[in-house]
Amino acid sequence: MIQITDVWYRAGGNQILSEINLHVKRGEFVSLVGASGAGKSTLLRLIHMAILPTKGVVRVDRFNSRSVKAGDIPLLRRKVGFIFQDFKLLEDRDVYDNVAFALWATGARRSTIKKRVFQVLAGVGLSHKRYARIEELSGGEKQRVAIARALANEPFVLLADEPTGNLDPVTTEEILKLLRKINTRGTAVLMATHKDGLVKTLPSQVIKIKEGRIVP
Amino acid sequence: MSLNLLYSLREGVLAMRRSRLSTLWTTSTIAVALTLFGIFMVLTFNLQRMIDSVRQHVVLEAFVDASLGEDAVEPIRATIAGLDGVSEAVFISREQALARFRDAFGDDPMLVLDENPLPMSIEVQVDAAQRTGAQIEGIARRISGIECIDEVAYKGGVVEIINHWSRYIYLIDAVLFFLVLASALFLVSNTLRLTIMAQKKAIQIMQLVGAERGFIRRPYLIQGIFQGALGGGIASCVVWIVFALISLRLPALFELPSWLLLTPMGLGALLAFWGSEISVNRFLNDV
Ligand SMILES: Nc1ncnc2c1ncn2[C@@H]1O[C@H](COP(=O)(O)OP(=O)(O)O)[C@@H](O)[C@H]1O
Ligand SMILES: [Mg+2]
Repeated sequence: MIQITDVWYRAGGNQILSEINLHVKRGEFVSLVGASGAGKSTLLRLIHMAILPTKGVVRVDRFNSRSVKAGDIPLLRRKVGFIFQDFKLLEDRDVYDNVAFALWATGARRSTIKKRVFQVLAGVGLSHKRYARIEELSGGEKQRVAIARALANEPFVLLADEPTGNLDPVTTEEILKLLRKINTRGTAVLMATHKDGLVKTLPSQVIKIKEGRIVP
Repeated sequence: MSLNLLYSLREGVLAMRRSRLSTLWTTSTIAVALTLFGIFMVLTFNLQRMIDSVRQHVVLEAFVDASLGEDAVEPIRATIAGLDGVSEAVFISREQALARFRDAFGDDPMLVLDENPLPMSIEVQVDAAQRTGAQIEGIARRISGIECIDEVAYKGGVVEIINHWSRYIYLIDAVLFFLVLASALFLVSNTLRLTIMAQKKAIQIMQLVGAERGFIRRPYLIQGIFQGALGGGIASCVVWIVFALISLRLPALFELPSWLLLTPMGLGALLAFWGSEISVNRFLNDV
């Protein structure tokens, strides 16, 4: 679970987030909607503990932003998947290697890695492209690879920062469907988007954010 | 810790392939620096060996007035043996001197001469602690001052010359050592900076998916060690070839123990590892 309590975040002389309270329970689907610059990405980065709050507490699973040590952060990241608008894939490697990367990084065994990579690639419908190079893939396929990588370590939550920002409407629909499928299998999803039309079809809890504050 | 070493090795090799030019440049510069250093190490080692051997054999020969009988020499020998800095004084009779001459030159002066031409002498061994040129000269002067001593011959001059030159050799060694140190640290660090910056995205993704710092660092440390060991290994080979060639013309001039030959390689690996260790930490913080 994720518990954000009275969080404020200040950077570069700007108050970026103010008085944020947010609770994401296990298995929930939460959409974070707000205009560009509202502070959505910053909020997701706080959950990933890439940044720490200026004031308040972020609790993610057993990790607490007040007491977290540098050595704990990798462990937290394995339990919190993250996908982005720009996919963040390694273009010079194939699909398999990109997904396996997340498992190598955790020191998993080769045989475990192989099994798990095939499993998550099947889950996102990309088994047949496992040896394709990233540059040969369409945008939707790239996002599927990124999702497979994010799920490789069986996170309890998937953070999605504008996951469909670079995709056409048909592909957007497919990716949203995939996120819903992942959610119904038990992984919580926290998706940030500036398109409020996107979340109308989703059975999700919608949280609106405006100028760094959660608004009703 | 089940972090996969094979993975790190593969990543290390990949990283070097990506920064081929700078890896090549670093490796070859380390090789050149360590070759120079290795050559001077061998020279120093052998010079030291020669100095030691000369010093081992520092002997003063005190020639006694030929009119004296052998019996009269004993008190003189005892006086010399009692001098400060003298460890031993041995009487060498004319017959013994002749025997030595025969041994040393395989020649018998008695074949052409009717009489043994060699004088009586007292062979003086100097204390190991008193073997600088000045000290030996002092002892020689004191022996000359003893009555009935005709002349004192010694090899102090050679020791003095070697001592004088060895000072410069050590200085060159020290300078070369710092050259090697600086080039290894600077170049390895620079290559790593390039590699890490080129790998910025991969490193960010590693951090994103929860790779531990040690795991992220390892390929770059491997890269550093590899460059150093390769550069040093090349240097070891070149040094070996250089002295093997010299030995063809001047056999037995240089001794080349294998630990000495392997030093450039070991030193290269060690310094490069150290350089990588320092710079990886610094550059990872900038990613
Ligand atoms: N490190 C930072 N220093 C200064 N300003 C920042 C920093 N990070 C984010 N911001 C600013 O905070 C605001 C919110 O950014 P962001 O969280 O990326 O918004 P969103 O994802 O909703 O578009 C923006 O105005 C951005 O410029
Ligand atoms: Mg954003």
